Amino acid sequence: MLSFVMQHTMFFMIPLLIVALGGLFSERSGIVNIALEGKMIMGAFTGVLVILTFQETLPGQPILIIALITSMLVGVAISFFHAYASINLQANQIISGIAINMFAPAFAVYTARLLLGTHNMHFSNQFRIESVPHLGDIPIIGEMFFQNTYITTYLGFVILAIVYIVLYKTKFGLRLRACGEHPHAADSVGVSVTKMRYSGVLISGGLAGIGGLIWVIPISTVFSGSVAGFGFLALAVLIFGAWRPVRVMFAAFFFGLMQAISHSYSGIEFLRALELPAHFYRMTPFIATLIVLAFTSKNTVAPKAIGQPYDKGGR
Amino acid sequence: MNRSSMLSFLSSVLVIVAGLAIGFIILLISNANQAIPAFTTILTFGITSMRNLGDVLLFATPIILTGLSVAFAFKTGLFNIGASGQFTIGAFVAVFISLEFTFLPPPIRIISAILAAATAGALWGAIPGLLKAYRNVHEVISCIMTNYIAMLFVNYMIITFIFDPGNATSRRLPADSNLPTMGLDYIFRDALRPSFVNVGIILAILTAVLIYIILEKTTFGYELKACGFNKDAAKYAGINENRNIITSMMICGALAGIGGALNFMNGTGLAMGIVDVLASEGFMGISVAFLGLNHPIGVIFSGILVAYLYIGGARMQVFGFSIEIIEIVISIIIYFCAFVFLVKTFVGKGLVKITKKTTQKEEIVE
Amino acid sequence: MYTIEMRNVTKIFPGIIANDNITLQLERGEIHALLGENGAGKSTLMSVLFGLYKPETGEIYKNGELVTITGPNDANTLGIGMVHQHFKLVHNFTVLENIVLGVESTKNGILQMQDARARVKALSEKYAFDIDIDAEIRHISVGMQQRVEILKMLYRNNEILIFDEPTAVLTPQEIEALMNTMRNMAAEGKSILFITHKLDEIKQVADRCSVLRKGKMIGTVKVSETSKEELSEMMVGRKVALSLDKNEAKKGAAILQVKNLQKSSGDGKPLKNISFDVFAGEILCIAGIEGNGQTDLVYALTGLSEVDSGQILMEGTELSKMKIRKRTEMGISHIPEDRHRHGLVLDYSLAYNTILQTYYTKEFQHRSFLRKDAIMAYARRLIDRFDIRSGQGEETPARSMSGGNQQKTILAREIDRNPKLLIAVQPTRGLDVGAIEYIHKQLLEQRDAGRAVLLVSLELEEVMNVSDRILVMYEGEIVADVDPKKVTFNELGLYMSGAKKDKVVA
Repeated sequence: MLSFVMQHTMFFMIPLLIVALGGLFSERSGIVNIALEGKMIMGAFTGVLVILTFQETLPGQPILIIALITSMLVGVAISFFHAYASINLQANQIISGIAINMFAPAFAVYTARLLLGTHNMHFSNQFRIESVPHLGDIPIIGEMFFQNTYITTYLGFVILAIVYIVLYKTKFGLRLRACGEHPHAADSVGVSVTKMRYSGVLISGGLAGIGGLIWVIPISTVFSGSVAGFGFLALAVLIFGAWRPVRVMFAAFFFGLMQAISHSYSGIEFLRALELPAHFYRMTPFIATLIVLAFTSKNTVAPKAIGQPYDKGGR
Repeated sequence: MNRSSMLSFLSSVLVIVAGLAIGFIILLISNANQAIPAFTTILTFGITSMRNLGDVLLFATPIILTGLSVAFAFKTGLFNIGASGQFTIGAFVAVFISLEFTFLPPPIRIISAILAAATAGALWGAIPGLLKAYRNVHEVISCIMTNYIAMLFVNYMIITFIFDPGNATSRRLPADSNLPTMGLDYIFRDALRPSFVNVGIILAILTAVLIYIILEKTTFGYELKACGFNKDAAKYAGINENRNIITSMMICGALAGIGGALNFMNGTGLAMGIVDVLASEGFMGISVAFLGLNHPIGVIFSGILVAYLYIGGARMQVFGFSIEIIEIVISIIIYFCAFVFLVKTFVGKGLVKITKKTTQKEEIVE
Repeated sequence: MYTIEMRNVTKIFPGIIANDNITLQLERGEIHALLGENGAGKSTLMSVLFGLYKPETGEIYKNGELVTITGPNDANTLGIGMVHQHFKLVHNFTVLENIVLGVESTKNGILQMQDARARVKALSEKYAFDIDIDAEIRHISVGMQQRVEILKMLYRNNEILIFDEPTAVLTPQEIEALMNTMRNMAAEGKSILFITHKLDEIKQVADRCSVLRKGKMIGTVKVSETSKEELSEMMVGRKVALSLDKNEAKKGAAILQVKNLQKSSGDGKPLKNISFDVFAGEILCIAGIEGNGQTDLVYALTGLSEVDSGQILMEGTELSKMKIRKRTEMGISHIPEDRHRHGLVLDYSLAYNTILQTYYTKEFQHRSFLRKDAIMAYARRLIDRFDIRSGQGEETPARSMSGGNQQKTILAREIDRNPKLLIAVQPTRGLDVGAIEYIHKQLLEQRDAGRAVLLVSLELEEVMNVSDRILVMYEGEIVADVDPKKVTFNELGLYMSGAKKDKVVA
């Protein structure tokens, strides 16, 4: 039972983790990213489109890799619009985010109907790994983490490690963070705030794009132009995780676990015994988030310059 | 109209034209043969008959209110992304009263349904307000949470109390629970039948005017806007910022809640569904607010415009296009709104520089 | 041949010539002062040197060769570095991270800090900076932060060092240390451009001085051959009284009594057992280095933050638990430290800003509706009385007013309420000599009208000239209660740096 919940937790946690880490790049560079939802949808849509194109001709894992790369590129592409409005035009960073969130599902449905005649994109799931060789045989842990799984699960943790290293151990990360805290300081030592913020927003788009596809695959074989608010949840995860990679991982795990429980509580003895209506389990992650935020927000500090357009003249 | 609002108006028009032009290009790419008639439909369908125009106003009613909700919050320095949840809560309470409080005479029932929806919306809006004021929780994230909680909670309430298993929705409202048409059905009709447009649109417009007066003419508006522009200065001035945040969010919630009530009491026989997605009226409210440049009166026009496009867009299937084209167009228009603010700031700055050469000096130089 | 020569630089902004055909020549190994009022064009000139602004005309030469500078990177390559007035430091980065930012060394893409650490350590020891290079910026003092800025330049091997108003935030002793550092660096052959408006410091440390006024270069003089009076006349364009005329204070009854004020929780500095009185008819000045609790004390008095214990008595009435509005109504006026943060709603008009604390009174509202006519008339009256200049009169957006006139608007609003106690926090910061004189006169007028004035200032000149009594704050404590006529600059400095401490009993 525990391993079943764990497997499901991973399905929800990994996309949240990847997308929230994407948001982290953007927000640590100083750009609010409310458009994660839209970017996820664009990524999921094009990824599924790739799967539909190749599923007859190629085996599962290569298709998945091609699809993931496509999703990433599309996420990057749509982020250009966000970056341009927020950085070059110095516009309110929320406006372009809202536009993307509205554009993406409409575009996905419109295009799917145009190309396929329906907006419900059915694909076959050839990506599931029954059991990872050797690792899957480890008692308990093997069952929890290496059975009924996807390569994307491990991709999520690889991305987490990379993000951590990039953010704290590289020149790029140091500069990116400086732009999110004090862009004038960064500028005064010759760091291009524009370049850094573009990088932040584009990386966030790439990760959100991947995250969109990773969200769809384990839980469904049909994509209908929606990621069910996971982009917004990822934003919550990001804030919950105080804009720090490792904390973001724990936040994603918490949300993932809550989601998993709400989907599978009927299989858990003592929860079923409580006879609570299903809706309450689905509400739990949201209510829990509110409560946790109420007790932790006094002390969390957002990147100092977040949301402020960088104006060279300003002080 | 002074120069600045003239400018706002012109840039809004420009932005809308640009959005429509891109929409047309998308139609052309999709199917060049049908693009022109389809596009003409988008542009003109709303005025091809008085009934269609009535439908535009009907459609505009709830989104003007959610638009006001977002715009009001914005003016007071808050971003109310929670209009969706407030709308849903308000809608449920109104529907519940309409269905269950049949012992009340219809006029009283209608009025109490609307008032109760406003109250419920206000209370729902108070949650992110309280969390922001006392626990420093950013309203965007708490609004996201309360949206989902509202959706799931209302699903549960519908199933438990007012479920119609046959349709898997709430029961339909009795006819005597619908808002009066006040003769609007005689104006807005075609040869076949009248539009369902009702007193709701008048309420929505009056509410917008009321919000305008509150913001611009009263001490309360002075306080709210001071908080919105500069909360530190407001605190310095002895204005109770926390109380303002909460009141402001409650007013936002009430507005969206009323929107929810009017949306289901409009005589079209709409029932509340068991849904998995957040009420789109809330998000349309964000578009409407930004398109109306967050001005209460501007929101009336942007609400009607968005409704106009939707009503035309609903005909797209006739030409083999899906109706999402309208959402694409609106999203592009919103994106271009970023440019509007830019144009305005530039021209605004220019004006200041020209008229006040000397006083600007210090600031520019230093 | 000059290390740096800016030749015939003209920079025009819409409606104003910020730099008018300016030539500035910096020799190797000299300390060159750049003197001018706020708004004279010093910052613009430096921005041109750093490539932040592109001038309409003019060239820059380094060692006689024409160079083009299009941004901070070019300036850095040419060995030009600057300590900005507002430090450009990332608050949650360590000292070391701030120093290497922009010139990081990496190996396989991973940051390599060991070499940097060793070099910074060596530099810090060489100049006796005594700095913890792993501390986060937000945890170190302003004086230390300035040393980080200097280390940034040294780490980059800059040869031309620009200091923009570096002494504003330092104690006299720290200033002395800075001057020594500057002399040492100049002796090593580095060239120093020292932007200031303090004549004493120029006399003390500079070799030559260039004076800017209203965008024009007035001249470059040898400091040893020029008197302070001459320098100040060059700067202002007229003879300036270097000290303020004032009568003896006629001290009245105690208006404000602060007793054992304590605060240890919340943001900012803790306040440790603070007690003092402010009397009618006196200007009591609170001196101290920035960040020693002055701000927190003012917040406590005005109600912007809460205290843990202690009393604040206004003519005998206890205030410490009262809301801000109530305190305002009791007769406290407050000219805040940060006029953009607290003093004004920049998006409101001048008129709306004049009623910030009184909008709800009968005069300005009727049944909750604002009385626009009354508000406008009131604003016009203040504009006349305080000579506030703005483009569109009372309708001018506060944002588009000059700093001096914004400050006058606040002053007008706070004085016109006829307070019993006027709290003025750094009221002259960033203003030019004319405006400073005006504000000092207004403070004296308030004093002579029998009001209690509490002035918080970081500028020792101001402290000594304007006040009737001085309290010095150090680390959240009042460490001295002295008479400006009896105390010396040096003594004040010792108090401010914590080297000296009296038992102060109110």
